[in-house]
Amino acid sequence: MTGKRIQAFFLAGVLAGSLLLTACTEAEENNAANESGTEKVQTESAGESVPESEQDTVIVAMSPEAEPESGFDPVYGWGAGEHVHEPLIQSTLTVTDENLEIGYDLATEMECSEDGLTWTVKIRTDAYFSDGEKLTAQDVAFTYNQLRDSSSVNDFTMLESAEAVDESTVVFHMNRPYSIWPYTMAVAGIVPEHAYDETYGQHPIGSGRYLLTQWDQGQQVILDANPDYYGEAPEMERVVIVFMEEDAALAAAMAGQVDVAYTAASYAEQEVPGYSLFSCETVDNRGFNLPAVERQTLEDGTVIGNDFTANVNVRRAINIGIDRQELIDHVLNGHGTPAYSVCDKMPWYYEGSQVEYNLEEAQALLDEAGWKIGEDGIREKNGVKASLEIAYPAGDSVRQAIAADCANQLKELGIDATSRGVGWDEAYTLALSEPLMWGWGAHTPMELYNIYHTNADTGLAEYSPYASETVDEYMDQALEADSLEESYELWKKAQWDGESGITQEGDIPWIWLVNIDHLYFVRDGLEIAPQKLHPHGHGWSIVNNVDQWSWNNQEG
Amino acid sequence: MRKTGEKERNRRRETLVTTALLVFFLVLITVLGVYWKEDALLTDFSRKNLPPSLRYPFGTDFMGRDMFKRTLTGLSMSIRLGVVTAAASALLAGAAAVLAVNTNRAVDTLFQGCVDVVMGIPHMLLLILISFACGKGFFGIVMGITLTHWPSLARVLRAEALSLKAKPYMRLAGKLGVTKWALIKKHYIPHLLPQFFTGLFLLFPQAVLHEAGMTFLGFGLSPEEPAIGIILSESMKYLVMGQWWLAVFPGAALAATVLMFFGLGQKICLLIDPASVQE
Repeated sequence: MTGKRIQAFFLAGVLAGSLLLTACTEAEENNAANESGTEKVQTESAGESVPESEQDTVIVAMSPEAEPESGFDPVYGWGAGEHVHEPLIQSTLTVTDENLEIGYDLATEMECSEDGLTWTVKIRTDAYFSDGEKLTAQDVAFTYNQLRDSSSVNDFTMLESAEAVDESTVVFHMNRPYSIWPYTMAVAGIVPEHAYDETYGQHPIGSGRYLLTQWDQGQQVILDANPDYYGEAPEMERVVIVFMEEDAALAAAMAGQVDVAYTAASYAEQEVPGYSLFSCETVDNRGFNLPAVERQTLEDGTVIGNDFTANVNVRRAINIGIDRQELIDHVLNGHGTPAYSVCDKMPWYYEGSQVEYNLEEAQALLDEAGWKIGEDGIREKNGVKASLEIAYPAGDSVRQAIAADCANQLKELGIDATSRGVGWDEAYTLALSEPLMWGWGAHTPMELYNIYHTNADTGLAEYSPYASETVDEYMDQALEADSLEESYELWKKAQWDGESGITQEGDIPWIWLVNIDHLYFVRDGLEIAPQKLHPHGHGWSIVNNVDQWSWNNQEG
Repeated sequence: MRKTGEKERNRRRETLVTTALLVFFLVLITVLGVYWKEDALLTDFSRKNLPPSLRYPFGTDFMGRDMFKRTLTGLSMSIRLGVVTAAASALLAGAAAVLAVNTNRAVDTLFQGCVDVVMGIPHMLLLILISFACGKGFFGIVMGITLTHWPSLARVLRAEALSLKAKPYMRLAGKLGVTKWALIKKHYIPHLLPQFFTGLFLLFPQAVLHEAGMTFLGFGLSPEEPAIGIILSESMKYLVMGQWWLAVFPGAALAATVLMFFGLGQKICLLIDPASVQE
């Protein structure tokens, strides 16, 4: 009897245990949704605001990854980090407009010296920090010197020093010409010299459109309109950002608890009553690198290069042998655009990068490269099988699916392609010898430089071995250009100058596949202002212009 | 008398039949899983997100993978891994217990200390630490489970061995000059064997569940590998969209496998334990 009872107990325990495995996370996420989103937000808006002021409030659900780890401090990456966006709380000198060209925020005019080593920027005189102090050129110089000294997430090595020559003029002394400096100025929020210390990120003081009212770490951020803002007063008085995982964000939208919920293509088919899908085009691209040198082992033991992809015809065949539209339909459920470069549709994009899917030509290119179809349908050359393992960051299901679909498509070309998930700890090293599924896309041409320009130490590009003197030269010239317009042309020439470059006719060391649309469920009646192309990172970009959003009808 | 005898024999036969059936199913899962390994990795976007049907009893996932084959392959791996780790763990426990009793006091203290340390650290935490230290992946999980599951069994075996040591006939044998090694071979091992097997079979379900837990948390295997924990953690995302089958079927399959192992352990206990073998 007792034996039986113990057995029953144990069985129950085991069952409960395995069920817990399935049930646990769900429950947790629901709790998280309740705690972070609903209750707090509702008490907030119900407690403080009367119904009529709901017209001025918007609640946006974002990914927990979007929460700035080091707070709202531009020096430690707020706005100017890996994922660039407008800092909202602080003002910037310049801004990027809808066409990704440069406009002014704090700056009123800017000028670059003949040799490209001195930038002189005049700033407006009617800007005040939220503590009442006037924003002067001194603060600007202080901010940039801080950025140069401490920024670990953005490159400020070209800046020698920033200097305030008078109350409204700041001069940047560069140690090398950097024609695209205005793009850097567009993401660097200005901090007050008098109120800046290590804890600034927790309680930022800025001169931007919004003030940070409350930040419950891991849960929500509340921004209120800055009454003293020098520009047009924000239409949205209060912006509440709640941080949730994708499925919790969807659940929150279904429950009507948020006004804007970020979502992924896999959830986009869901019908959420009272909400519609809002899709933003992006330059948030996915693509993989093809190491362009032969396999070799460096002195420190690192393996670089890949004998198969070292052949340019193999790389060209792969570029036209992948049907990008199929990827978009299969993986993104149609929510994306084909990508042909790291900077599609940017002012510095070379339009000729675009290629057509052509399986036969791809086959012919591989034949030409000496890789003939073997008995088992896999190409081989000198007894070596054509194989490729596309790595993807484990945990990113979209990249996993893109890698899997690419592998399937490459099999049609006779390449024995597989995909494998890896951690970021090994991904960078792995990418030196095997393709890795990357995500890029930023509002600065510097990205071309980072990906394709060679490193002085190794003589090869940083992320995937490749070197071209011509490409290097054009990019160096672009940085030395006298004007942005001139630099755009040189960036384009770096991509293809008629003879060489990084496009299909050129060396094609990277294969760009898709730009992933950023998707949101948006409550009916909320007018989201037109968005510029979102960069990489499905986060704060959507609220770049939240001050211009509006509710166009009475709710409910 | 005769009547009860018949009943007893029937019970023994019944137990044997159940055991055979359970072994058959477990072996079937293992073999099918190995056989379908290729299919389980196959992605086919033309059939993604299908609900369960005759062709795909567990439906398909976001990359069009056959979840039935994927689940079986995952369970197959769990079972193989469970067998290896439970066996290694039990052997470790047995060896440690016999050693501790038959050498000097210092070794015994050291043994007790090890048991206390391993049991003192939360199980899952230790598992994660060890599998990380051993380089993650399949090997990491095997090492993690092996090195964390031996103490409780080792403690039982040590107690058993100690009581055996105190028996008069064992002391006499010692006085008569029988070597320690001969004592271990002739007396300790045969005497401890039933306990050992019981412990071994009770370790299986634990090992399988812990493997599932580890892969669920993302420690160890790469996401395209068909492991039951990975399948379950992926399915979480789709629960909110109403695709419950992606979580429920693999979860139920895992529960069933664990129960089968547990049942098997119980039956084998009955068969080999001296106290119940005659029942």
